[in-house]
Amino acid sequence: MRRRALVICGIGLALLVGVTGAIQRAQAKGKQTPEQLKLYDELFMEQVRTGDLLFHGDADTEKKMGVTLSKTGMACAMCHPFASDNHPYEFPKFQTSMDKFATLRDMINWCIEKPQEGVRIDSDSDAMKALESYIYWSNRGSQLDPGRH
Amino acid sequence: MDFLERERREMSTVLRQPGEKPDRALRIDRRTFIHKSILLGTAAGAASFGWFPLISTLDVAYGAETFKFAWISDNHLYPKDVNTRFVEKAVRAVQEVQGMSPPADFLIHGGDIAQLGDPVELGLGNDILKEVKIRKVFIPGEHDWYLDMGATWRKHFGNPNWTFDHKGVRFIGLDTISRCPDYWSATKMSPKDRMGAMATLDGSIAGPWAGVGSDQLEWLNRTLSSWPKDRPVIVFSHNPLYEYYPPWNFWVRDWREVQEILRPYRNVTNVHGHTHQVLYNEIGKMRSIGMLATSWPWPYAPQGVPDLTTCMVRADPGDYFDGMGWSRLTVTAAEKVQNEYMMFGRKPTEVFGETPADSGCADNVNQKLHPRIADRGWYYKD
Repeated sequence: MRRRALVICGIGLALLVGVTGAIQRAQAKGKQTPEQLKLYDELFMEQVRTGDLLFHGDADTEKKMGVTLSKTGMACAMCHPFASDNHPYEFPKFQTSMDKFATLRDMINWCIEKPQEGVRIDSDSDAMKALESYIYWSNRGSQLDPGRH
Repeated sequence: MDFLERERREMSTVLRQPGEKPDRALRIDRRTFIHKSILLGTAAGAASFGWFPLISTLDVAYGAETFKFAWISDNHLYPKDVNTRFVEKAVRAVQEVQGMSPPADFLIHGGDIAQLGDPVELGLGNDILKEVKIRKVFIPGEHDWYLDMGATWRKHFGNPNWTFDHKGVRFIGLDTISRCPDYWSATKMSPKDRMGAMATLDGSIAGPWAGVGSDQLEWLNRTLSSWPKDRPVIVFSHNPLYEYYPPWNFWVRDWREVQEILRPYRNVTNVHGHTHQVLYNEIGKMRSIGMLATSWPWPYAPQGVPDLTTCMVRADPGDYFDGMGWSRLTVTAAEKVQNEYMMFGRKPTEVFGETPADSGCADNVNQKLHPRIADRGWYYKD
């Protein structure tokens, strides 16, 4: 009897999971609600805001994220106010300062290690994603032109 | 039409009246002509970037006899144990000025000796500049000032504004940085935070801090009133005395009043720091020249440069001396003054970007930028 009850519960759970998944898939295919769009935007802007703070040398944010982006007092924004002259829309490209074909993430790490004499960050780290988010956000509307020197 | 567009249109309407130009005697000289000839082949391509081939040297004023003076600014020194590169570059500029032969009559320091207004930074700068044995005059930058509201800077360098006459030229030093509206008291900001906000070029907290102020405008008017209208005036300021790019305080907010006072004078040259780049403009009868920093070059303003500016070469970020330096200005017996950008490691002919690919502004044609967000109220509060 007990075994039968367990089997029924198991089937019920499987059905529930299946139905929930189906609902989620249907939602993904369906219209996005204003609440969903707001949520996506909030998630992105949180990354932008964190990246903005890192880009401007905010010590608390660096400490919280466990990164050392600079040991010279310099911050990214000192040479790149408004993230100008970053040209994220030109990557990937051959980067003369590195003498190699490079991505924006390579370039971010080059700036951390060379002018700022900081400690390079993992290419897929939260800090890298945040920096990338801020740089792209600040350059939104620029014309995509990969490979341009 | 946005704020910047309105400002620029107003500036053109007010100051670019028909026939309003710097004195005709202030012509481009032979060296400039040669530079123009070199550029002629690239002029068509350059035109599409609003890129106007012009000058490697400038004629800026009359003088009774030949003399030279030198400009150093924007060293942005940290304490020596934090950043040695900035110290190296300041020392190099000082050594090069001291090595001038014949020597300059004086050195003008155009502000931002320090990065965060720390007495250690200002003391370090003072020690480095002691190696220059000629006469020195100083105006402050915002990085020197907002930790202790100028107390240490004044102790080392004296009054932030002054005037003197030298060999037929009236020189004026203006303080364009100390009259920022109070953004710190209401929020009980610490001196360190106040300085931090001021030291962030693209920040929004300190707002439009650059200005001459009504009291100093009155002083400027009085100072000039005894000077003949056709005699040369050279005004030193940390910020440019016109509107170039207000979001980074590449201006003074009371440029209208400044220009109104300077307007009757035929030969006015403004030499300024803060922008860390090769820059040239003519506003009404005034010529304006931007100086290099010794610390790092700023990018050109996102909305473009004055038409009369020939952009500097794209600096190599891998060479921490590139794109930086100081300036040597010569007032000749033929009553002309030339400005030479002394960019570290480059010949005078290599200072300017001579093709779009090498120009410090032509590489930004696809760029569109937006102000930062993290120092404003949180995004979803509005």
